[in-house]
Amino acid sequence: MKNNIRVERAIKNITQGDLAEQVGVSRQTINTIESNKYVPSTVLALKIARVFGKPMEEVFMLEESD
Amino acid sequence: MKSRFLFPYWCRYLGYALFLVHVPIVMFRTELGFDKPEGQASHGIFGTYHIFFMATTLLMALGLFLAAFSKEKIEDEQISQLRLDSLQWAIYLNYVLLIIGLVLTTDTEHILFLNLIVPLVFFIIRFRWVIFRLNRSLPKEG
Repeated sequence: MKNNIRVERAIKNITQGDLAEQVGVSRQTINTIESNKYVPSTVLALKIARVFGKPMEEVFMLEESD
Repeated sequence: MKSRFLFPYWCRYLGYALFLVHVPIVMFRTELGFDKPEGQASHGIFGTYHIFFMATTLLMALGLFLAAFSKEKIEDEQISQLRLDSLQWAIYLNYVLLIIGLVLTTDTEHILFLNLIVPLVFFIIRFRWVIFRLNRSLPKEG
């Protein structure tokens, strides 16, 4: 699964730490999600999408290999 | 994400402390007069040797237990995932060592002891190591 959290963060001008705080996880978790090393749960993905005010599909998308 | 069956964060340090206290006690057991008895003097469940052995083993096991199963500062789903992962590794390693031990030796007393200590120690090391690696890969501020 891919995501464009980094881009969305840049648009909203918030740091990994800010996003982590708003969704209630550690900064490490946001960082590993951004670098595609960790796939978040549905709940966390929905929370992240809500922070950016976008539907989940615009933040997270499937890859060929999924 | 709710993590159940975990001790509070500070229990980790209590756990390390208990374990560290246990090490010198066991190292100097001969000097303290609690070494394995040669004669018939202190045998049985209420013998000094057995009580000393039980007390130190419980101290160690309790320390490792607290250190292994206390909460992180920020408990989130990735931490739960890593914990589960590390636990799986620890169980695998434990059983590999157990089977090797059973096949190659007849020393069941030490196998039991190894079995007591390996899963928790390996779990703690592996879990700490992945968290350490995670922290190191973190950019200064992103």
